[in-house]
Amino acid sequence: MTHVLRAKNLTVRLAGATVIDNIHLDVTPGSITALIGPNGSGKTSLLRAVLGHIPHIGDVDWFAKPLSKWSNKELAKRVGYVPQAPTSDVNDSVIDTLRLGRSPHQSWLGIEHEHDDRVVESVARSLELTDLLSRRLGTLSGGQRQRVFLGRALAQEPTALLLDEPATFLDLRHQVELHLLLRRIAREQHVGILMASHDLNLVATHADTVMILKAGQCVTTGPTPDAMTSESLTHAFDVPVNRIESDGRVHFLI
Amino acid sequence: MKRFDLIALTRVTIASLCVWAIAACAGAAVGSTGAIGFVSYDTIMYRLTEHVLPASLIGAALASAGVIFQAILRNPLADPYLLGASGGAMLATYIWRLNVVASATWIATVSPHAMAMLGALAAVAIVLLAAGWRGRIEPVTAILVGVIVSSICGAVFMLLNSIYRDLPGTGGLMSMLAGDVQTTASRQQIQLSIITVSAGWLILFFLTPSLNVIRLSDGEAQSLGVRVQRTRWTGLIVASLVTAGAVAISGPIGFVGLICPHVARFFYGNDNRRLLPFATALGAGLLVLADAIARLLLANDRVGTLIPVGVITALVGGPFMLVILMRMKR
Repeated sequence: MTHVLRAKNLTVRLAGATVIDNIHLDVTPGSITALIGPNGSGKTSLLRAVLGHIPHIGDVDWFAKPLSKWSNKELAKRVGYVPQAPTSDVNDSVIDTLRLGRSPHQSWLGIEHEHDDRVVESVARSLELTDLLSRRLGTLSGGQRQRVFLGRALAQEPTALLLDEPATFLDLRHQVELHLLLRRIAREQHVGILMASHDLNLVATHADTVMILKAGQCVTTGPTPDAMTSESLTHAFDVPVNRIESDGRVHFLI
Repeated sequence: MKRFDLIALTRVTIASLCVWAIAACAGAAVGSTGAIGFVSYDTIMYRLTEHVLPASLIGAALASAGVIFQAILRNPLADPYLLGASGGAMLATYIWRLNVVASATWIATVSPHAMAMLGALAAVAIVLLAAGWRGRIEPVTAILVGVIVSSICGAVFMLLNSIYRDLPGTGGLMSMLAGDVQTTASRQQIQLSIITVSAGWLILFFLTPSLNVIRLSDGEAQSLGVRVQRTRWTGLIVASLVTAGAVAISGPIGFVGLICPHVARFFYGNDNRRLLPFATALGAGLLVLADAIARLLLANDRVGTLIPVGVITALVGGPFMLVILMRMKR
């Protein structure tokens, strides 16, 4: 399979306004695709449209099968999603939240098996949540909570992961660690990752492919070093963005 | 919380049965006139079928519907009557009592209990149709419409009451309003309620894994494999049927459906797979005990009258549950 997700001529209209305008998007297994663009450029709408949360015009294929042919449950076994602000009940424990990620795999009555426990444990280990499993969400820091929600999506054992600004509540170290982790997940488990992001430097370092959005339209898309030019970013964000290269790495100054 | 496997399911089932069995024993020990003790096999069987069974049925129905409503409407204050079941039942029963209407129409041919059930179902149907007329049902809209329809039912009730002041019949109506287990319902009505409540409960039990997810936002729930709208419609309709089954034989009994889910939550967190059976048992047990207390008080010379069980659940069960909540909160 060459594509995890392929969207063609994707258009989304919400309350009469065109928020996504004729976009083509491919996500391949084992790679990270980043959506960047200013607020209101359509990053979140794009994610929600390909997941079927909001109606769209055009073609969306998951694993070479049209979105409309997927049942929620079957798609949930293969695609994990972490929204910008996940619902968090302060009284929910970490382990119960992670377990929710197993729900698409459960049959009648939501009976769980040993395998479910093993998946949850290994997810907790990879996200360094093992010591927090019995804690309640209300007692966690923003960064810890964000890792829990990522863990819930990973517990679905997905082959594709959609993340809406996953680094928002994280400090610098956790931002970098999260991106390294995402890269490891992409490479080792062959997961295709599509994430909306605000951080140009992190995207430049960690994303394989970039799509720059402005007002629902694609400014440019392609391999990260080619697509993220001063011109395209300046045009998208309406502020001058300088691209600096040092030690073979790309940095952006605003 | 440990994983929910067959052992966990068995455990919560046994815990629930124990809670209910203890209450049932206490209920069976109290006679209709307040006499305490196990006299003979026949009296115990009589008390079980006449008192413990209907009380358990009503309590179980209300508490389980409460769990469902709180999960689907995402509101800890939701109770089984939030979508108009009690308002509709009250109004319908009142209309049945009105000579003007009743003598002239088909209404005279149905029992007041069937009338209560019909009224509850009609009110809930109006609420669900109005709140979900575009096919999608949103929790906040459902709650608002429910409150509006309940208020309208109450207003019509008061209006009729001020026009037709003298009501035929006595205590029966008040008991219909305050909620009462000392039911005059016919055997058929109780059987109908048993079928409605138990069939509905089973459907709700199969819905519980989805309810755990549906507490989240619609997008998250969908991405965890749940059909959000279908779960919402099924849950609200079935829970309303279960509520109507209870309202039909008892009238609206407050408090049980609101508080039992919360007490169960302190044992089982937000896991509806465990909450539903345990809250159901708590509701059944609470109502059996309240009913037994009502009979004990009846025997007391100073009281001498049958206190509506809804009053007792709130007066006696209320502080008790409050203590549990406070202790657990720490």
